Amino acid sequence: MSELVLETEKLDKVYKLGGRQVRALSDVNLQVKKGDFISIMGPSGSGKTTLLNMLGCLDKPTYGKVILDGVNITKVPEKGLFKIRKYKVGFVFQTFNLMPYLNAIENVELPMEGTKKSGDEKKKRARELLKMVGLSEREEHRPHRLSAGEQQRVAIARALANNPAIVLADEPTGNLDSKTGYEIIRLLGKLNIDQGTTIVVVTHDSHKAAHAGRMLSLSDGRLLAKEKQGTHLMKKELICPYCSREIQPDDTFCPRCGKKL
Amino acid sequence: MRAFLVIIALGFSMAIMISVPAGIVANQEAAQSLTANFNSTISNMEEEINKTSTLIEVSTSSGRGMFSSTPSNTFSGTPPSMPFRGFGQEEVFMNETVADEIRSIDRVKDAVPFFEKSSNETTSETISTPRGDFTISRPLYTITGLCLNSSFIDNYSILPTNLTAGRNLREGDSGVLLMSLNLTDYFGVGVGDKVEINGGSFTVVGVYSSTTDQGLTGTRTVYMNLTDAQTITDEIGNVSRLDLYAKDASYVDGIAEVIKAAYSDLTVTTIKDRLTSLENEQTRYTETLNSAESTLGQTQTVATQEIIVAIVATSLIVLFVMLYTVRERTREIGILKAIGFSNWNVMSQFMLEGILISLMAAVVGIAIGSIGAPFLSSLLLPHISLFGGSSGRFQPTFGSANPGITGSQAASATLNPQLMLLTFGAAVLLGALGSLYPAWRAARTSPMEALRYE
Repeated sequence: MSELVLETEKLDKVYKLGGRQVRALSDVNLQVKKGDFISIMGPSGSGKTTLLNMLGCLDKPTYGKVILDGVNITKVPEKGLFKIRKYKVGFVFQTFNLMPYLNAIENVELPMEGTKKSGDEKKKRARELLKMVGLSEREEHRPHRLSAGEQQRVAIARALANNPAIVLADEPTGNLDSKTGYEIIRLLGKLNIDQGTTIVVVTHDSHKAAHAGRMLSLSDGRLLAKEKQGTHLMKKELICPYCSREIQPDDTFCPRCGKKL
Repeated sequence: MRAFLVIIALGFSMAIMISVPAGIVANQEAAQSLTANFNSTISNMEEEINKTSTLIEVSTSSGRGMFSSTPSNTFSGTPPSMPFRGFGQEEVFMNETVADEIRSIDRVKDAVPFFEKSSNETTSETISTPRGDFTISRPLYTITGLCLNSSFIDNYSILPTNLTAGRNLREGDSGVLLMSLNLTDYFGVGVGDKVEINGGSFTVVGVYSSTTDQGLTGTRTVYMNLTDAQTITDEIGNVSRLDLYAKDASYVDGIAEVIKAAYSDLTVTTIKDRLTSLENEQTRYTETLNSAESTLGQTQTVATQEIIVAIVATSLIVLFVMLYTVRERTREIGILKAIGFSNWNVMSQFMLEGILISLMAAVVGIAIGSIGAPFLSSLLLPHISLFGGSSGRFQPTFGSANPGITGSQAASATLNPQLMLLTFGAAVLLGALGSLYPAWRAARTSPMEALRYE
């Protein structure tokens, strides 16, 4: 489990805002191992989204390197970036960002457009993914007929379509009520356990961040050295993080202490 | 709804794009048919004139000859002159004693007298020309008295030949008449019925087709025995015209000189005059054709400009619509790029959309064009008045092929399959051209910024 999927070295990002330079990120050194479930916490304006955009090839750092799956993506020319976005990264957004005129299964198939998969293979894979996020019954529904939580599930299924090296989720619970938000976080945790998907979630909600395996904090563009352990790792080992007794993988509440997992 | 309006607007622009060339094609075809018509008319006339080389026409007033000159300004805005015999002129007659004197001139073989008198009542008729409709008024009917001598009937075809009912006039007929078809309605009679004309009672023995090739609405003439005609019009002993036939063509000039010297008030027309007249006609036709050609040339220049404008308009519509679409769907573009669509994927998608809109517009354009092309092209192109003048009065005898130059060759634009195919080609090209820049902008959008766009 020590293989590095994502690594940043001395990542700096400086924006020019009306002639004034704003340092959004400063000397960020992050290491993500395969199978990690990481949350990055921080107040708004701390540079969380900037960091995530950089990790997902949506933005270029001013200085420093991003090495994703062994490739220094800061060196990849603009024309080649789409391939990294397509095959290496799966994005989950706060606002879901589904295509309104496509139904659930078509939305999931969308990233597979232009891959070598045949139409049937795409459909099969999309079905599989929708089943994985618990939406088998909703395949033909368009986004406006799905609840917010269901839309985010479709978005997660879409992010996984091309089996990416890493899933980057930017405030995935930001537009959801608390209960649904926890469901989404638990779904990500489940995918991490079941599929071994490497996940980085950015959030400003410390309660939800605590559900991850590793909890990192950003403050004024700097990654705080102190790293906390979330409840996820213990769940991964099927131990209740509150009473340290054995639990089952599908348990929502600890059978012993009754606390919400 | 928006797409619908855009397609309609584009459709109109494309309809213009196709209607203009359709109009050009139609004009060219009209000019060609006009040329053909001119040529055949001229040759027919020539033939006719040569057949009647011995004919000397003697009439009582100028402008009653075979080829009266008609104004040559038939291409200008004025309506063409109306070649109605005797209309608007005082009808003058010559006494039969004069006719007898002329007849007795040496080397005259035959002298065929004609009597013609128009009714005082007039009727209004509307004729259509490419410049619009003109209403003219003409005598309600014309009485023509013929000398029903069997040798005249046989040799000089003085009677109409295009009978539709009954029989023709023949030697010895009296108290009977031959009526043109359009007059049967007016008088309310048919073959075998009695009709009263100018106080005289007649039996209709035959009806002949009133249509002529003269481009007008047809003749309105009743034919009867010369004496009958003279009697009912109170012109006993008078005739309007005398067709003299010389014993040989070489005597024609001499006879004409004699008549001219003796009767200065009579108009004498010989083959020479007729040929001169024909030459004048020919010159006029040539001028007409030249002017038509130059009009066509001008039209083409205007058409080229209009097509360019239509092309530019079409591309601009596509351009702005696609720019708007790209702007509106910025977020969507951001999503597509974030989940791994390449610039080329995005660009081709928008180009395809532009081409698709353009193709749908082409269908609409063809639909509009196939209905509105004649109207649109007449609206957009300078008026091409391919109005061949009237052929003059060339009907001294019946039974001769005498098409004349028909009044109008209205150019009617219609779409042909090649034009339609061309439209689809143009649609693809202009759709691609118009959406090139918007699609390129869409492709270049930064996914990060596009996602932030609301």
